Amino acid sequence: MKQQEFFSSRWALIISVLGIAVGTGNIWRFSRVVAQNGGGSFLIPWVIFLLLWSVPLIIAEFAIGKYARLGPIGAFGKIAGKNFSWMGAFIVMVATGIMFYYSVVTGWCLRYFFSAASGNLMSVDNHLDYWNNFASGNLPLLFHFISVSIVAYIVYRGITNGIEKFSKILVPTLLIILFGLFVRAITLPGASEGIKYFFTPDINIILDYKVWLNALTQNAWDTGAGWGLIMTYAIYMRHKEDISLNASLIAFGNNSISLIAGITIFSTVFALSSVDAMQQISQSGPANTGLTFIYLPKLFGQLSESIFINSIFASAFFLALFFAALTSLISMVELATRTLIDFNVGRRKAIILVSVICFLLGLPSANNMNVLINQDWVWGVGLLVSGAFIAFAILRFGVDRFRTEVINGIGSDVKIGIWYNAIIKYLIPVQVIVLVSWWMISSVSWDPEWWNPFHTENAGTALFQWGLVIIIFIIFNNYMYKKTVENNK
Amino acid sequence: MKIETILTAVIVLSTVWGGLIYFIRKALFYEKKKSVNG
Repeated sequence: MKQQEFFSSRWALIISVLGIAVGTGNIWRFSRVVAQNGGGSFLIPWVIFLLLWSVPLIIAEFAIGKYARLGPIGAFGKIAGKNFSWMGAFIVMVATGIMFYYSVVTGWCLRYFFSAASGNLMSVDNHLDYWNNFASGNLPLLFHFISVSIVAYIVYRGITNGIEKFSKILVPTLLIILFGLFVRAITLPGASEGIKYFFTPDINIILDYKVWLNALTQNAWDTGAGWGLIMTYAIYMRHKEDISLNASLIAFGNNSISLIAGITIFSTVFALSSVDAMQQISQSGPANTGLTFIYLPKLFGQLSESIFINSIFASAFFLALFFAALTSLISMVELATRTLIDFNVGRRKAIILVSVICFLLGLPSANNMNVLINQDWVWGVGLLVSGAFIAFAILRFGVDRFRTEVINGIGSDVKIGIWYNAIIKYLIPVQVIVLVSWWMISSVSWDPEWWNPFHTENAGTALFQWGLVIIIFIIFNNYMYKKTVENNK
Repeated sequence: MKIETILTAVIVLSTVWGGLIYFIRKALFYEKKKSVNG
């Protein structure tokens, strides 16, 4: 199959990929995890794992996509060999599993934006009841449908006229809004207390292994490294496009935005909270919604005496959150669509199919919070396995060959050194083994029936669902290889 | 403000934001070079 479409420039590619990386995880998850792990004590390991996990894996994803010019299933067949297309299918499954409920979350952000813009949100007395009424009603279904429809329209328009064009509007707008909120937050009286907490390390906490594991998980989550999404966008890189410099720019850009969001939220909460600010930030709430949908709206209501001004800031925040979610959702839908295109389904047919399936399989999460929590748990942890599979594929291809021929090949502005071999060969596998083992062991201690696959968050449910899809993908491995690699030669 | 707070802020911000500025400048440099060379 001849490559038809490309991102028009380096900056178009960077903005679009930044749209993948910057999601709700940068805004609400980052702040919560920083609060739960001792503020400044968390930031040091978080920066270290930016260098040891995010940058190497984003480079790998760019290189695999550019080299293979196929979605993850075909790319794994090409890079790791014909017996390993199932690993690519697992990566597709993880991203698609997340897509089903992420569209629901995107809908929540849109609903709260409308609610804030209309002034209703600032007139609410009890935000917990407001959230519970919304979540238990039918509105999440409607907003889930709207989110899927918007994204389907954008992806249907293709790379240049769809993803690139909309990313060029959504991502800069998101950054401008976030920067505006950042400036307002740090100028609030009492904001300095939040900034102080954000950067103050505690030597006892920094030595706790859990802080390091959370720092690694956060990097895996919020940079998009190992999801297969960047790999999919890299299919549309121009032939003479650089890999390592673009990948580094995206990883550092993503984490810079996390810092802006973190400082904004810490400053706001410490300046406006009358009770324990730390408790408010670290509150998880159902599906980690506590801070964003329950406490922040309450705090926005205390920003000034004017409901109008408070509504402007609240709606700006939820619009930024919606744009962040939307640009990430676009990449998930594109990944699923591209996978079908590799199976010789036309883009139009593929996007209709993906949208209908996304809507239908997202319904249980829109309807029942426990389903959403379960899927978040299963496929969220599955991302770490995806990262391991990417490292494995490069090992099969030959790390040195991959670095010299693919990463440092045609179009590279910056050549990367032999240090990359050591990270892919040793550090990424060690990080994955430690992290997955820790998740599993923790899961056993949370739930005595850790093996039960029908519990919401335990080892059993993750292992059962991963195992089921892996068995199916291994059975169909040869078929998938033939369809995606041999038929597209 | 405690010295360790300032030190952490300097390390984190200079690495992350400094790194971002460094890579943007580098990308601009290579883009300019490419446009000059056609």
